[in-house]
Amino acid sequence: MSGRKAQLIFSLAVVGLGLLVPIVIRTDYMLNIVFRVFLFAGLGLAWNWVGGYSGQLSLGHAAYFGLGAYGLAMFTNRGVPMWISVLLAVLAALLFAGIIGKVSFRLRGPYFALCTIAFAEVLRLTAKNLPNVTGGDVGIQVPLLFPHATQLSFYYSAVLLTVLGIGITYWLEKSKFGYYLMAIREDEDTALSVGVNTANQKLYALLLSAAITALGGALYGSLFLYIVPDQVLPLEISTELAIVAMLGGAGTLAGPIVGALILETASEVFKNFFKEANMLIYGVLIIVVVLFLPGGIVGTLKLKETPQKLDSESGRVTVDE
Amino acid sequence: MEWVYGNLQVILDGLMTGALYALIGMGMALIFGVMRIVNFAHGAFLMMGMYVTFVLYDRLHLSPYIGFLVAGGLLFVFGFLTYLLVLRPLPGQESFMVILVTMGLSLILVDASQLIFGADYHQINIPLQSTNIHLGPHIAMNAPWLVSFGIAIAMGSAMYWFVMHTMFGRAARAVAQNRYSAPLMGINVNRVQAMAFGMGAAAAGIAGALLLPLLYVFPEVGNQYRLKSFVMVVLGGMGSIQGAAMAGLVLGVVESLTSYYWGNEWAPVVDFVIFILVLSFRPSGIFGSQRA
Amino acid sequence: MRRSLSLLVVLGVACILVTTDCRKEASGNTIKIGVITSLTGNQAAFGQAHKAGYQIAMEEINAKGGIDGKPVELDIYDDQSKPDQAVQGVSKLVDQDHVKLILGAYSSESTRAIVPVVTQKQIPLIMPTAVADNVVETGSQWVFRICAGSGSFATATLDFLKNNGDPKTLAIIYENTNFGQANNKSMAAAAQAAGLNLVDSEAYQATSPDYKALLQRVKSKNPDAIYFASYLLDAGTLMRQSEQLNLNPKYYTSAGTGFAAAEFPSPEKGAGKFAEYTFSVSQWLPSAKWKGSQEFDEKYTKLVGTHPAYHGMEAYAVLQAGAEALKNAGAGATPTAIRDAIRNLNIAETPFGPVKFDARGQNAHPVLVTQIQGGKYKVVWPLDAAESKPIIPTPEWSKR
Repeated sequence: MSGRKAQLIFSLAVVGLGLLVPIVIRTDYMLNIVFRVFLFAGLGLAWNWVGGYSGQLSLGHAAYFGLGAYGLAMFTNRGVPMWISVLLAVLAALLFAGIIGKVSFRLRGPYFALCTIAFAEVLRLTAKNLPNVTGGDVGIQVPLLFPHATQLSFYYSAVLLTVLGIGITYWLEKSKFGYYLMAIREDEDTALSVGVNTANQKLYALLLSAAITALGGALYGSLFLYIVPDQVLPLEISTELAIVAMLGGAGTLAGPIVGALILETASEVFKNFFKEANMLIYGVLIIVVVLFLPGGIVGTLKLKETPQKLDSESGRVTVDE
Repeated sequence: MEWVYGNLQVILDGLMTGALYALIGMGMALIFGVMRIVNFAHGAFLMMGMYVTFVLYDRLHLSPYIGFLVAGGLLFVFGFLTYLLVLRPLPGQESFMVILVTMGLSLILVDASQLIFGADYHQINIPLQSTNIHLGPHIAMNAPWLVSFGIAIAMGSAMYWFVMHTMFGRAARAVAQNRYSAPLMGINVNRVQAMAFGMGAAAAGIAGALLLPLLYVFPEVGNQYRLKSFVMVVLGGMGSIQGAAMAGLVLGVVESLTSYYWGNEWAPVVDFVIFILVLSFRPSGIFGSQRA
Repeated sequence: MRRSLSLLVVLGVACILVTTDCRKEASGNTIKIGVITSLTGNQAAFGQAHKAGYQIAMEEINAKGGIDGKPVELDIYDDQSKPDQAVQGVSKLVDQDHVKLILGAYSSESTRAIVPVVTQKQIPLIMPTAVADNVVETGSQWVFRICAGSGSFATATLDFLKNNGDPKTLAIIYENTNFGQANNKSMAAAAQAAGLNLVDSEAYQATSPDYKALLQRVKSKNPDAIYFASYLLDAGTLMRQSEQLNLNPKYYTSAGTGFAAAEFPSPEKGAGKFAEYTFSVSQWLPSAKWKGSQEFDEKYTKLVGTHPAYHGMEAYAVLQAGAEALKNAGAGATPTAIRDAIRNLNIAETPFGPVKFDARGQNAHPVLVTQIQGGKYKVVWPLDAAESKPIIPTPEWSKR
């Protein structure tokens, strides 16, 4: 059984368990936690296409998340029917992704990451500074996408988002598109030299990623019925998305799912156990994972099981499959 | 004529803020230049420098204008050790690993500060704060600002001199240019990098100390300066500390003018807009002469 | 891979189980009241003030025998200064810990965020500090606010101004956060309704060291009065830099908070002489005429080491009001009964003034206007509560 199939089975098993969860878990509190697990799993999978498979560390994905939430709120408030607003919000995210991609993908390494941060921050500050348009920090109302069986509907939507993410990732891994992306990740210059249109491929990955992230944002905003810029557009959301994928294993199928499972439940446990010290423990967790599990959990597991090549210069491990 | 004085005041205020920015930026540029490390904990270092200076003032009544030296020293040691213990072991020092680790470090430092000092804001009120220097009837400068400005310029110049004219400085520049050939010249790369990181941290700590009489300290005070320092490094050109210094002054003035003409709430946005523009059109920086 | 796969599945299930808190329902021995506040994050300083206020109230209630003989226990949830965490908190407190009454949150945005969920779960909520008026404007029957809102601040200030010199022009300087934006909105609307000319409205990025460019903009518009919405340390910076720029409106007024903080007039911890003559709306002062204020001040100072700003008092007040309602509702009351008990509260005298909630859930908390005279807060409005005459117009900086 190859690693890839095993990961697929694992992921689908988690989804399966997820579908059964509402039988066992009745309280809104627990449902909220598993909602977050699946939402961030789906979003992590989406981030993975840009960050993991293409090797472009985007730390500005909150921009698309926030555009999803704010798009839904702002269009609906101007009379557009709810679900059309969702569509328009996704289109807005695609538009911004196009702009951000065009500008940022010309940059390499840390410059790219910093540029994505800058774009997200501009969006966040602009949302704050225009209270008449966005509600500013006083906030804006978001319509309720599921007036019936609310908590369950949101939960299953998050599970659906994860399934979508799994499906796209599975297809991506063996498709030509995915192959181009991984080539870009391994060595962008060589990829360029053999005729891969790296700029376009990266852009496609970003557009796909942005669309799913915006959907997740709309879902999230609707669940809370009321949002402020610092809730959906801050750097913390961007880093959470990235860490979920990296903790679990960037560039793997099961990685973001594992990452979301652990991170979201750990956050809640930390908060209840460690109280005021929970951010400190979270920081320690990040450092420990990066230092000792550089490929993320799934990446490290793959290392132990399959023959590997160690790239002595970059310290990166590539796996034969 | 009123118009001229108004703008002149705004520009002068911007320069004074800019000098502090410059010091922070120079520290970041040194770290980034020598090690290609995007240090997300830079703001936390500034915050630590502020707390050290605050404690010295609060307990020992030591003026921040002397305390900054202690802050700088402590932060140098802290940075040095942080590099050796936390950053050097990173396999290959992939940039995303470094970003995450320094982010984690920042979270730890900020939360630790809250646990130790509480979340409440602390300020110091030194007698100098009541003194204003007037340049004619239209321009007024507050004394602590001038002192902080002066010390920042002095420290920045010292840092520049150190990097340009000492053995360490030459070694650092060599590592910045080519990490792999440097050991062939007999340079102990690890030690140089640790020292560079320490110096960068010290610069942030000193900037924090100088900021204390002008602002107030709380655990998250450094966060707003962390992203600014990246902007300065990019504007200044990769690893050019004199470029970052110029960028700091420019940012200070631009923010001040933005506050004057469009409103204070747009000042932080302008930082990022400039950042994006420079990255789009001149990624090698405006003031530096190096490649991107 | 099969082994790792099963390991991962076990890990996943374990994660979910670990967070399943198999806590038993509260033993019948205590009355548990839910509290949501910001113990960490950027509003932690105020959350901690809340915590102290709640603690003092709890101790007082329990010293008097608790409620129906049972001691009160507080179940405090930290929203980390984030609205979505506050919502999570409601779920945990209600679904997991089975509380029947919630007090909180701290900030307006967190408070506004939890209104839909307490309404949906039908649990009464008493708000201590949220100042933005949108928290009581949703039509929910489950929320109550004990403090006055930004609209009341604006009308009280304008009332005062109209009867004390009647200035014609106003500028608003507010921090670019929920607190500031809400107050700006309220004051701008109220000023327009009162026929006052709003010549400038400036938002600023809080925690900056330099506001001089902003103040210069305002100076060029030459307003008769300025209305600030700021926290303590920015208030200090703004006043100091106003002096440097020789900005001399006839009135420095404010929406409280920073300008009403206990430390604001002090030279070591506040703005010292630069705070002199500033007006502020006030929810409560240690020197307030309400019985019990001074005792609270002493207890708080002993517990925390600094004098209380009104946030601590507001926490104290909502717990006292909540306990009173629980007592009235009787043992084993449903949340609906508790809600009705809150609505029927009519307490004439508490250290925070009278408590009576209207149909919207708003307590008609009187708003005072104070001025700092001789380094001390003196109530100057309304006339029946005034202890001193206001000093107007504000003396110019150069003449002080």
